[in-house]
Amino acid sequence: MSTQSKIRIAVTVGCIASCGFVALAAFVAPHSLSSDVVFAFVVFGVLAVAATNLDVIARASIGMSGSVMIFMAAVVVFGEYSFFLGPALVGLLCGLFDVVHLRKREWDKIAFNCASDALSLMGGTAAFFLIAADKPIEDPFILTVAVAAAACTYLLLNAVFVSFPVAISGGDQYRRVLREILAFNVGAFPFALLGLGLGWVYLELGAAVVPLLVVPILIARSTFASYLELKAGQEQTIETLILALEAKDPYTAGHAQRVATFSEYVGAELAFGQRRMERLRYAALMHDIGKLVVPNQILNKPGRLTEAEFERVKRHETVSVELLHRIDFLAPVAGDTTTEAATAAVDGTDLIEPAIIHVADAFDAMTSTRSYRRALSQETAFAELRDGAGTQFNAACVDALIHSIERRGEQYGAGHEVDEHEWAVAPPEAGTGSAGLGHLVSEELVPEEQAAGS
Amino acid sequence: MRRWARVLVLVLGGALVAIGIEIAHPGSPWAPLAMIGGAIAAGELIELKPPLRAALPISFAFMVVLARQGSVQDAALVLVVAELATFLVRSEPTSVEGRLALFGERIVEGLAAVLVYHGMADALGAPSTSKLLFALAVAALAPILIAEIGRMIRERDASVTAHGRMADVALVTSATLMAISAIGVDGNSGMGLWGPAVFTIPLLAAWYSYEHLEVIRRTYDQTIRALGAAPELGGMVRDGHAERVADLAVALGGVLGFSRHELAQLETASLLHHLGQVCLDEPDDGRPPEPLAVAEAGATILRGTQLLAPAGDIIAAEWMPHRQSISSRPSVMSGQILKVASAFDELSDGHLERAALALEALRSAPEYLYDGRVLGALDIVLDRRGLLDDQLC
Repeated sequence: MSTQSKIRIAVTVGCIASCGFVALAAFVAPHSLSSDVVFAFVVFGVLAVAATNLDVIARASIGMSGSVMIFMAAVVVFGEYSFFLGPALVGLLCGLFDVVHLRKREWDKIAFNCASDALSLMGGTAAFFLIAADKPIEDPFILTVAVAAAACTYLLLNAVFVSFPVAISGGDQYRRVLREILAFNVGAFPFALLGLGLGWVYLELGAAVVPLLVVPILIARSTFASYLELKAGQEQTIETLILALEAKDPYTAGHAQRVATFSEYVGAELAFGQRRMERLRYAALMHDIGKLVVPNQILNKPGRLTEAEFERVKRHETVSVELLHRIDFLAPVAGDTTTEAATAAVDGTDLIEPAIIHVADAFDAMTSTRSYRRALSQETAFAELRDGAGTQFNAACVDALIHSIERRGEQYGAGHEVDEHEWAVAPPEAGTGSAGLGHLVSEELVPEEQAAGS
Repeated sequence: MRRWARVLVLVLGGALVAIGIEIAHPGSPWAPLAMIGGAIAAGELIELKPPLRAALPISFAFMVVLARQGSVQDAALVLVVAELATFLVRSEPTSVEGRLALFGERIVEGLAAVLVYHGMADALGAPSTSKLLFALAVAALAPILIAEIGRMIRERDASVTAHGRMADVALVTSATLMAISAIGVDGNSGMGLWGPAVFTIPLLAAWYSYEHLEVIRRTYDQTIRALGAAPELGGMVRDGHAERVADLAVALGGVLGFSRHELAQLETASLLHHLGQVCLDEPDDGRPPEPLAVAEAGATILRGTQLLAPAGDIIAAEWMPHRQSISSRPSVMSGQILKVASAFDELSDGHLERAALALEALRSAPEYLYDGRVLGALDIVLDRRGLLDDQLC
């Protein structure tokens, strides 16, 4: 049995034991099951299960975390009924009826979710009881402080528990995962405060009025889902369009996609936020869009370009910038990609995005086969980027890209190209148009027999 | 000043006035009214923007809280002061006239909420939870209704979308809970101003979602327009051709009774109908490529995407021979519109004074080339735009 399987079994058994403990404690605890408590358990149990299965999971700065709102409302309501384990039981029920895991029969995940929700909520409830025990619900200040403390405790414990399996399954560092999940959970905090309102509505106006609060949340969720759907559709549309347009030049197939990926690598190293990362990816995908105006015959010409042809090729950069300027979201990063501008860009003062795309573009160009030369090795490309750092390329972007690729253990360039090329005229190992890299190639890449022959 | 800085200034302004009142007259009912006034002023700058309908400021919800909290006279005074504060701080509309008009509109909407609530409360008698909820919901609907009627009159468009209606529901339910949570059902309990603050969260969540939706829609539209302009920047097509064709095609579709969805597809197809040209080899003799080849290449690209496939179908239909028997299909009819609009623009070369000549040339073409219904619609559109007066005839 593998170590991972043993860990999984141990965690599952531990989770089931924890859940059993919570459930048992709830039944043997004093003041347990009055009709009010049972009714509240049914209402909040149903709401929490519905909210969990409707939650919009998005890599956004805010999560539409309806379940957090329900949990905190349960804390307020069961706090009024002095039933300490009520929220934990709601959490347990919520973990049990996660439709996605149930369909896949992922019993270990179900056990873990039940335990982590129940235990996190026990922690949150404890914080609430410490502050608000024996205080009247009419005191909104005390209630707000108590709910805020409960929410912080719940979200913190939830992140601590959930980070374990995520770190193990993804092979990531626990602290790194914990930081990410905590950052995500911060977005759910306003919804936790809203739980205070829901709890108040339930206690003061009755369960029948609860839908009045749930409806606007559902509407916000539905609109956010429309946004995510349109965003995914738009991204797919742009990628498909670019793929189709790249057909103009078979040598650059997949180029925009790879430049977008490399740009994202650099953006992640420079700790870009989600929105800025989105813009960077989009701009990188579109960076060569001006190539649309270059005739196919010129793009696919294997030999040297005439001066007039070269001018038409050069014009594509201007057209790219002009087209990007027409899109408000991209206009701020559709800056000057000339060497001077790219080198001078410093994050925080000038927008560094064009410099990132410039480096990513150059790296992909060097590690891909073009009509005028075959792909260079990754080492050669790295050496060229390092040589040009501070003069031709932005040094911070170069360091970030190289560090990111090395950390991932990825390999690009000669011998590692994904796409198989079929060409009428085979490109040379190095060519006159190889972006000034002829000297590197002639020293490093020309096969020995050729070198000996010459 | 950025929007959130303005919002902060207005909220803090209201809070400072409330603190001042509380210090001068402890326990005065004007202190919470000042806070609500600050919230109304700030809420004017945070608008739910569902597509194709009037923007709904979340101040509408605070107007209902104000209606519940004060008498008609007190509420009216607070409303006017709050709207004046917003008038001074807001950046849009940019013109003073525009801001004055909006100021007047908001006063009317706010007074409607206050009067409707007090009228309902008097009519319904002793407060109970259900009666109170009903009165508050109707009061919350009043400003929304007035704003929507105003938009319909301004835009001469009575259509609404499902998203628009959902924003109404979000605003009404939140406003109801905000008003009831502040002072409870009996008017003496409740959460105080924490209540409205907490129940603003769903509205802010809705605002956040609508903002993102609006941004992504705008970006998508601008991306399509940028792609449509690429052949023009490459000198393959006359400047502005795609935009002019799109404008005319949508007008023709409108005359022919196209739905909003069909018009959107037609507009996209019109903007991108020359996209295929960028994928074709330039003919050696310097002539432009065959229109059919351009349409086929463009349609192939667009059909590869989920969202643009219908536009691809329209472009493919552009150069189909016009046949009465099959032209009831939306894409075929749209293709015929696109063909006429594009040909008209090429004949008039973007010069409006050549409109009548271009129309005459299209009418003189063989009957099988252009759909007679589309030419009839073109006649109507040009006439409406006043482009056929004193020309040619």
